[in-house]
Amino acid sequence: MFVSERRSSATILHADLDSFYASVEQRDDPALRGRPIVVGGGVVLAASYEAKAFGVRTAMSGGAARRLCPNLIEVAPRFEAYTQASRHVFDIFRDTSPIVEPMSIDEAFIDVAGLWRIAGTPAVIAAGLRARVADEVGLAITVGVARTKFLAKVASGVAKPDGLLVVDPDEELAFLHPLPVQRLWGVGQVTAAKLNERGIHTVADVASMDPGALTAIVGGAMGHQLHALAHNRDARRVTTGKRRGSIGSQQALGRRRRSRDEIDVVLWRLVDRITERMRRAGRVGRTVTLRFRFDDFTRATRSHSLADPTAGTSTIHSTAVAVLDTAWPLVEAKGISLLGVSIGNLSDLDAVQLVLPFERKDAEQLDTVMDAVRDRFGRGALQRATTMRGDPGIQLPMLPD
Amino acid sequence: MQVEGDRLTVTGTDLELTIRLTVDVGGERDGAAVVPARLVGDIVKALPAGAVSVELHDDEMSISAGRSQFSVRPLSLDDYPAQSEPAADAVTLPAAMVADALRQVVRAASTDDARAVLTGVLLAADDDGLRMVATDSYRLAVRDLPGTSVMASGQSVLIPGRALNELQRVMGDVEELSVRLGDREATFEAGGTRLSTRLIEGEFPNYRNLLPSSYPNLLTVGKAAMLEAIRRVKILAQDSTPVRLTLGGDTVQLTAITQDVGNAAEEIDASYDGVEMTVAFNPDYLAAGIDAIDSDDVTLATMDPMKPAVLRGVGRDDYLYLLMPVRVP
Repeated sequence: MFVSERRSSATILHADLDSFYASVEQRDDPALRGRPIVVGGGVVLAASYEAKAFGVRTAMSGGAARRLCPNLIEVAPRFEAYTQASRHVFDIFRDTSPIVEPMSIDEAFIDVAGLWRIAGTPAVIAAGLRARVADEVGLAITVGVARTKFLAKVASGVAKPDGLLVVDPDEELAFLHPLPVQRLWGVGQVTAAKLNERGIHTVADVASMDPGALTAIVGGAMGHQLHALAHNRDARRVTTGKRRGSIGSQQALGRRRRSRDEIDVVLWRLVDRITERMRRAGRVGRTVTLRFRFDDFTRATRSHSLADPTAGTSTIHSTAVAVLDTAWPLVEAKGISLLGVSIGNLSDLDAVQLVLPFERKDAEQLDTVMDAVRDRFGRGALQRATTMRGDPGIQLPMLPD
Repeated sequence: MQVEGDRLTVTGTDLELTIRLTVDVGGERDGAAVVPARLVGDIVKALPAGAVSVELHDDEMSISAGRSQFSVRPLSLDDYPAQSEPAADAVTLPAAMVADALRQVVRAASTDDARAVLTGVLLAADDDGLRMVATDSYRLAVRDLPGTSVMASGQSVLIPGRALNELQRVMGDVEELSVRLGDREATFEAGGTRLSTRLIEGEFPNYRNLLPSSYPNLLTVGKAAMLEAIRRVKILAQDSTPVRLTLGGDTVQLTAITQDVGNAAEEIDASYDGVEMTVAFNPDYLAAGIDAIDSDDVTLATMDPMKPAVLRGVGRDDYLYLLMPVRVP
């Protein structure tokens, strides 16, 4: 065990919420539980397991889904609720281990190596994680545990729904080889069909092939990847480091002529939203960029860099206002149909040595208080008076920054 | 270097800090010379054990011992800064007490010259005695010396931490330390050594309202066990990674995780009264605070993971070390 715990034991968790949007709807409305439901009208964004049993799948048209399942219940999406639920689940992930790699709003890799003494074996940690998500968020989550990211993801796929599967290091190939080729990372319908045509159906079939022959069928990069995965070679680590280079938000303004007052309200709202996200993500930025789309669909950007990185709402807002001031003649001349703000030159605030509050700034305290209130009561609970006017715009659920 | 009778006085200065040392020598003729300090120091240190003879001629100083022979060109005596005698009255203090207090406080002073005020140690007198305070804005050390008086109640001076570090080194094991606090200069004398330093001008931050009257969460641990644990866990706290303390129950867990390098974890026995929480600190700052405490057991009092924590020794209320946590995601 002194050689390398990472290599010799299964410490990577792949946690995946089951039918995420649909499960949130069933959680919040008891009348939907046990019934086939889909989220979304025109296109199916998510289907409950009851609907999946009828063959309903994500990205299917609403009409096709109804034909498969006449009793289907369609629910309008509530992105705010999904974002909220995702945030809670990710809080539990990060409470479980500091090494969390988000893959999407409902899925993440979690490395629990080294937590054995504190929290128990990976299987115990995974069971605890599932129990906490069920208790605290009210959702079912499936967890795969293995030595590599690839196997952990395969395991969670096999264990769905509401399951836990640990792939013991001694039994990896026995687990992997009987599986259909579709389980290999990167194999979609097209690649699967190509392989099936040549009599290659299982992962064992792929593993037994010469890499050259495999490459001839599916191409160079894919061939190498499949060969490695089928032989259970996956050295990728769970990294929290895949991070965005900038954080931004934008709002379409329609064709109507907007006054500077109205634009100021939009700017406040954008900055408020972005800086809150930055603080939540523990990131600070130095460059404030405004993006404009004009009535004739031409675009322009203007930016300004600060001396020190910050996530402070008022500092970034005043910089953004200064940038808008310089661009205003252009905006007035051409008419604006979209305003975007992004903060670049981001750096991590991962571990920030806090400073003794000899002279704590009021603005900083205001940010902290607003974040805390919104954490507890939701984003709409506390607004700046300036932003109360006008249309608040839609906020789509996002990966944690 | 100045010889008068059988006494040699060596003075070194960088204009802010001046140290003067007097030793007994076998003097043959009185005289004075200014010589490059590091060069002459290196020579004398390198010489074999035994007597060293130093002779000054017109434009060279010869240094010899046994069969070794050096000669060094002296600098201009006239250009050397004039040394003034301290004007203020001397107060005598027990040297061990001052050394102890300096050891506890000076470590919290800043070494960043851009923040001159924070490079100083505040000496403030009130009716109860003397208080020493230092902070680098991340931690703050406060030591009270009740019944000690070096200036009038209500007065304070700000002495460079660098000078006080030197003072700790040159004090040796003398019994008494004499202190003179002037308007612009402080002078300390211990045995044959005198150290003078200019004072720092400026206003020390108002630290008093940072000192909490009560704390909801109190951890008590053995000093030695905690220091050992930090020392080990710190190995994996690279690149300014903090050490996390998980509080709750009758142990405290220390963890350090450096991305792509590895993890360290250790658990030690403790008693804890408060809510479960994880709070992270810079391991060097934390260890420095614990090390400064003169008790077998130390307490760590916290409000929450974002507020300053206070370290104290069990049974000692004359010292506290306030430490800001590291915010972790």
